[in-house]
Amino acid sequence: MIKQRKWFAIPGFLTLAAAAAILSAYAGASSSQGNSPAQPVPFPHPMHVQTLKMNCVYCHFSANKSPDPGLPAMSTCMGCHTVVGTSKPGVQKLASFASKNQPVPWVRIHKVPEYVHFPHMRHVNAGVSCQTCHGNVQNMAQVSQQNSLNMGWCVNCHVGRSNPPFKARYDCATCHY
Amino acid sequence: MSSETSKPGVKRREFLKVVGAGSATATMIGCSSERVEKLIPYFVSPDQTVPGVSTYYASTCRECASACGIIAETRDGRTIKLEGNPDHPVNRGALCAKGQAALQGLYNPDRYRTPMVRRGGKLEKTTWDDALKIFGDKLAEARRNPGGVAFINRHQSGGFPQLLNSWLAGMGMAPALSIDPDADTTAIAANLQTFGVAWPRYDFASTRLIISFGADFLDGWGASVPQQLDFADARARGANAPRFIYVGARRSLTGLNADDWIPAKPGSELAIVQMLSGASTPQQAAQASGVDVARLTALQTEFAAAKPALVLAAGGGPNGMELCLAANALNGTSGAVSIADAYRGFEGIDPVSHIRALGQRMQGGGVSMLMVHNVDPVYLMPKSSGFRAAMAKVPFKVSFSSIMDETSEMADLILPDNHSLESWGEAQAVTNTLSLQQPTMDPVFDTRAIADVLLAVSRTTGTPIATMPDYRSLMISRFPGGAAGLAAALPKGISSGSVQQPAGSKALPQPVAAANAGNGDFTLLVYPSPALGMGEGANKPWLQELPDPVTKIAWQTVAEIHPATARKLGVENGDHVIVETAAGKLSLPVYTYQGIREDVVAVAAGRGHADSAGRYAKAGSNAFDLLTYAEDRSGSIMLGSTRARVTKDGGHSRLVTTEGSARQHGRGIAQAVVVGQLGGTHEASGSEHAAEAAPQGSVSGEQKERALGEKAAAGEHGGEEGHPEFPGDASHEFLPGLRSPTAKDAQGDLGGPGTKSKEKGMYDPEHWSGMARRRWAMTIDLARCTGCSACVTACYAENNIPTVGADWQGPKVLPDRTGFGANITRSREMSWIRLERYFEGGEDGGADFETRFVPMLCQHCGNAPCEPVCPVYATYHAPDGLNVQVYNRCVGTRYCSNNCPYKVRYFNWFGYGEPARAQYAFPEPLNWQLNPDVTVRGKGVMEKCTFCVQRIREAENRAALEHRGVEPDEFTVACAEACPSRAITFGDAADERWTVAKLVNDERAYHVFEELNTYTAVVYLKKVNHPGAMTTSPVAAPEVH
Repeated sequence: MIKQRKWFAIPGFLTLAAAAAILSAYAGASSSQGNSPAQPVPFPHPMHVQTLKMNCVYCHFSANKSPDPGLPAMSTCMGCHTVVGTSKPGVQKLASFASKNQPVPWVRIHKVPEYVHFPHMRHVNAGVSCQTCHGNVQNMAQVSQQNSLNMGWCVNCHVGRSNPPFKARYDCATCHY
Repeated sequence: MSSETSKPGVKRREFLKVVGAGSATATMIGCSSERVEKLIPYFVSPDQTVPGVSTYYASTCRECASACGIIAETRDGRTIKLEGNPDHPVNRGALCAKGQAALQGLYNPDRYRTPMVRRGGKLEKTTWDDALKIFGDKLAEARRNPGGVAFINRHQSGGFPQLLNSWLAGMGMAPALSIDPDADTTAIAANLQTFGVAWPRYDFASTRLIISFGADFLDGWGASVPQQLDFADARARGANAPRFIYVGARRSLTGLNADDWIPAKPGSELAIVQMLSGASTPQQAAQASGVDVARLTALQTEFAAAKPALVLAAGGGPNGMELCLAANALNGTSGAVSIADAYRGFEGIDPVSHIRALGQRMQGGGVSMLMVHNVDPVYLMPKSSGFRAAMAKVPFKVSFSSIMDETSEMADLILPDNHSLESWGEAQAVTNTLSLQQPTMDPVFDTRAIADVLLAVSRTTGTPIATMPDYRSLMISRFPGGAAGLAAALPKGISSGSVQQPAGSKALPQPVAAANAGNGDFTLLVYPSPALGMGEGANKPWLQELPDPVTKIAWQTVAEIHPATARKLGVENGDHVIVETAAGKLSLPVYTYQGIREDVVAVAAGRGHADSAGRYAKAGSNAFDLLTYAEDRSGSIMLGSTRARVTKDGGHSRLVTTEGSARQHGRGIAQAVVVGQLGGTHEASGSEHAAEAAPQGSVSGEQKERALGEKAAAGEHGGEEGHPEFPGDASHEFLPGLRSPTAKDAQGDLGGPGTKSKEKGMYDPEHWSGMARRRWAMTIDLARCTGCSACVTACYAENNIPTVGADWQGPKVLPDRTGFGANITRSREMSWIRLERYFEGGEDGGADFETRFVPMLCQHCGNAPCEPVCPVYATYHAPDGLNVQVYNRCVGTRYCSNNCPYKVRYFNWFGYGEPARAQYAFPEPLNWQLNPDVTVRGKGVMEKCTFCVQRIREAENRAALEHRGVEPDEFTVACAEACPSRAITFGDAADERWTVAKLVNDERAYHVFEELNTYTAVVYLKKVNHPGAMTTSPVAAPEVH
């Protein structure tokens, strides 16, 4: 009797374990937390933010007025780098893009899942710092994704469980439409 | 955030220019975020634009001659939506379906992408330098015999025709023909003769009676949009509204809006007009028209008593000119025809006889060079005119067409023009008002504005017509105040002034009567399709998919015959008949329609283009193939004088229709009241069923409110006592006003002290978010709605709704359901809003029936049947009254759709929004139009009207940025914004400052299927009927209990 039961229990257990493994692997795949791809031109945020004291919205110019945070145009980069740091290999790489009238094809890191709308300006104007979501980019020589950007992570803040607490609507259609 | 997956094969220049800051939100389905996406920055940021925030350009719609003002919404370098310009004197903020669909002309995948030249018999791509050199050489050659050159231009008002004619004159060539296939050139000729203007404004509100003789002023006859606005305003005046009688062989959309229909024989309208003017007796008119003497006597009596009355008549018949002149004469002194406010855009349109005469010259070898700009005479001219063969004899043919069509297919050189949304220009809208046209984005393809090409060529050929390098400079040079003046006027889109139009004094060719009108028991009536016009709209999938407002047929050409005729022939809907005339024959599926005479067969024009006209335009059959070419006295083509034989053919096709039944079967979906039953004021009375109530509404508003409150309370009570609550069960508690449910809120721990928020969260009106203090709602006034379906196309444009009827989109496994419209025959159309059209009365097939149009969309029920049946909570009721569909959660069980009594949920069967799939609905560059604020849905999700939640969020975001609340009537939804009869009102019903909050308490307000306790947020206002002495059809809906 016991022996018989074992022959049912073992495959059953194995199936469950396999299912759990697949599901957890799938769940992990839905976030690219920790992703830190190399960029076509190395952009040292610490140099620009800490040393040169540049504000985030100097380059990400529409983060406080548009759903879209804004990506600096090549002309913004070349405004300084036509004369500044021209001996550095990264700047030379940038200049070679610019001389060919090509934009730098930056690799995207932060992306909320599909079917979600994330208006940057609402968050910025509510006093949510850039670092709350993006991590301490000012310290990152190469930017990596610090947070999962998954729904549970978003909602945690919207329902006021963050520190400091924020209050925001958590109705589905606030973001999903 | 700007993002775009880098694609090989896209030209870098275009990529930078337009993709620069792309649209992250118009993304495709997919769980994986592993795909490497690129963020492509601008090279140089454009001035004054913020990525992710729209820029708006005022311009002018050039889809017809009316010259409506448009506001083009442009996001990150792409134009994504057109709205009417509220400050424009013509359309006053409204825009029709054709105008909305101009975007699909701009982004049409079948546009010419480069200049083309014929080499070795085939059209090949070439460069502009090469093409212009060829053009210059040929012009130099042609100048030796300037009389052998002809130019056919698409009619447009403004400065361009003048430029064109001076360019031609500089080389000694004849002025261009100015052709507008949609314009009724018979009526224009008559108007010029009677009033001295091409198209006067009709003051419907000042009349007591409107009689239309085939004049479809709501669907394409003249300035449709302003006429619809004026007509709806007039008809909304309750007891002061004019009655409307339609006379014609077929009840068109305009005819369906009439209170009575007199089905006169085609061509007999003149006899009835003569009766009205006293030149003949009702007996004589009855004999000519085949209508009852009693009816005509009633018409005569009513006309004599109604002062003032407005009589409108259209051409197209054998004696069109005489008819229009006689009708105009009846209006002579009524004051309902305003000449001062005439629509000046219709001036200078040449009748089709000029093209026919040109064809004869070409046939005789008298034309050495033909230039055509955005007209398609090869399609437009009936086969029997022989135009195509004649054109083939012209040695050198140049086309300026921006899009593939039958005419440019025959050209030797194609110099593709910019689309009107990429060009500078101006139109003469009304007297002393210019409507300005400016590019709303950079050209999509390697095209050039024709005006700039002419200016460039004129310099190289040594006959410069202006010193200015391009048309914009030319505009500035004659604009008061120059560049600064133009820059100041552009944001408004209009300026005072006028442009001299070329005199339309070309000698009219001797008209040709029908060589052989043929014989047969039927008269063939070819009518311009309300959506496709005379065929210009056929290459736009939105317009192909838009069900005809009358027949509800999409993508297909049918033969409309009366049900009694069908019985005689032994055919039913979809059975093929052969329609045979002296000109040709077609086998067409039958559509039985009781709004047509028994001796008439009607076929809509516009479909059935050749393969060369692109992937969409070839759907259906070409009605012009049946037409025997004949002209009336004004030189206009006769559309209703060909005799036809109709015989049964073997085959059967499923009708590509979106209609289930044309009858309400007692469901009370479209309700109506008789004008006499209306109370004097809106506050005075109110009854859910006005026909039940005493004539002067005996139920007061307060009583009604109390009754409703009791009903709601009973519902709540019943819920608590009668049935236990289950998780996921719809709430039995409702907020006051337009009832919206409350619910338990799993996250509801944010309430302030002393509130219920602990449990109810955002569903508590006291909750800090204030969400439950709003109730987004909509009213639709059926007394104003004309059924024109502009709202449908506006919704397609705003909400990225895929069209599903193209021949590559059908189900591949069902061989009997292939071809155009296959998905629609399986009810798989995706239109979030649809126009239902119901007939009342006339069950015997008689002419006395009434039509009710009901725009049907998600009702955003307070007690929604779809919500409790969703196993995954993909649909739920938001605290602000929206019935929300969360695409991420949806697994596609379709239970919600099964449980929806309104059938307004649409399932995405094939992933129409996914580029990798065969059924993809947006072939490049149609996808450039997609609204980045709205998700493009993938395969396997349910979708439906969202009440334009993206617009709600946008308004809230804007208000938050400006530290204020959303102002009453600050924004509206896409359907309401476009509506050319102002039937739709959207807003917050819980805030009495919004217009909609007043309208939901109107005495005519009712909810569809109120007996189901769905507590809908869409409130309809009953249609108002104006029965007359001759009306016998029932005037109010059967009541539902």
